[in-house]
Amino acid sequence: MAEGAKVVVADINGEGASVAAAEVEAGGGEALAVTVDVSDPGQTEAMVKATIDRFGRIDGLVNNAAIAIRVKHVNAPVEELPIEEWDRVIAVNLRGPFLCCRAVLPHMKNRGYGKIINIASGTFFKGTPFISNYVASKGGVIGLTRTLAREAGKSGITVNCIAPGLTASETEEMPASHYETRVPDRAIKRVEVPEDLVGAAIFFMSKDSDFMTGQSIIIDGGVAIN
Amino acid sequence: MSRLDGRVIIVTGGGQGIGRAFALGFAKEGAKVAIADINGPAAESVAAEIGEAGGEALAVVTDVSSEESTKEMAAAVIERWGRIDGLMNNAAFFQRPQITNGPIEEIPVDEWDRVMAVNLKGPFLCCRAVIGQMKEQKYGKIVNISSGTVFSGRSILHYVASKGGVTAFTRVLAKQSGDWNITVNSIAPGLTASDPDKDEAIYEGRVAARSIPRVEEPEDLVGAGIFLMSSESDFMTGQTMVVDGGAVMH
Repeated sequence: MAEGAKVVVADINGEGASVAAAEVEAGGGEALAVTVDVSDPGQTEAMVKATIDRFGRIDGLVNNAAIAIRVKHVNAPVEELPIEEWDRVIAVNLRGPFLCCRAVLPHMKNRGYGKIINIASGTFFKGTPFISNYVASKGGVIGLTRTLAREAGKSGITVNCIAPGLTASETEEMPASHYETRVPDRAIKRVEVPEDLVGAAIFFMSKDSDFMTGQSIIIDGGVAIN
Repeated sequence: MSRLDGRVIIVTGGGQGIGRAFALGFAKEGAKVAIADINGPAAESVAAEIGEAGGEALAVVTDVSSEESTKEMAAAVIERWGRIDGLMNNAAFFQRPQITNGPIEEIPVDEWDRVMAVNLKGPFLCCRAVIGQMKEQKYGKIVNISSGTVFSGRSILHYVASKGGVTAFTRVLAKQSGDWNITVNSIAPGLTASDPDKDEAIYEGRVAARSIPRVEEPEDLVGAGIFLMSSESDFMTGQTMVVDGGAVMH
């Protein structure tokens, strides 16, 4: 928003979306809050329709919604991971980006331009144990990124991934010590905060990245390497 | 405010091609740019171009394969501006027909040595020359130019091996430099139309393999260079960004 974009805040938590949108508007920007479950095709289509109705176009999509490691997550080896946990995480983290891309692509193709960012995870590069559903979903996101990049490049659409490390995004839910466990592994030894990711996202949303597509960049202070 | 306001950045091989595009792009974002090139008149010409546009630049004749020359480069920049915020290791030995594109048994051994001396020892020496200053500042941005060929394994054995070395070098130096808030990353371009004298067909030949099917221009790389030189990438280190229109995927 600080860079001048009109932002649609799409979240399954409608109240959270409204608060974020209000914050953008209070800062002098334009925003629209939409309640959406990204794993539901009807709702992702409605999200796109609401955006077109309000702003008449879609330039960018950040597929950020995910069941993260911290939220009601079962840590278990593969043979003990409940099958419904696998399905639940894949439905949101992998099917979600697929459905959101599917919904916005016709509009981007019509305009001959578009910027898609998928949020992957450093855990894919590290093979982090006991969260196979999460890591597989994020590896799937990188695969989706690559194929979609090849399919959509002719239409002037770029598709790239940002892979964060563990980021202190829910400080009210988790103790600070939870985030600090990752610090010793990093080249830059401090807790990762959401603002560390914003510069890369602005780059991928701007014309500065118009010839970069299908790629994944890790932003985690130098733990995993790609 | 521009994204590189007040930053002092060295661009090796800044006298032509991709290096020139980076130098002009950085200056436009407010950086003071040292054009370090073995070709003095080319460096002077780019520095003058920046000066005419209202920017600040310094031309330094530099052979990146000479330790003494890289030390002089760093000293000249510190003398002029008192600091070094960024180093872009762009200078490389690449131009055909000077470089042999053939099977291993046809690559002259002294040519292998020369490619390694410029493309791999060059970044080593340049980083070695500036890192003390960056550590003192507790801040620095190093960007190495690698190549998409590292991922495709496509032709020119010694050149690709040197660029693979650059990517590995990036990773280790990143791990070693984080305590001083020095980030070290690479940009891996595809074949870029940086030599206007070259046959167009060479560049056109790469188009079909790309997601975005067109010739790559030096300007296509500038945005990534600015990102990696700016505070926007301060928590990103050890990484390689492929900017090639989506030919290889990394």
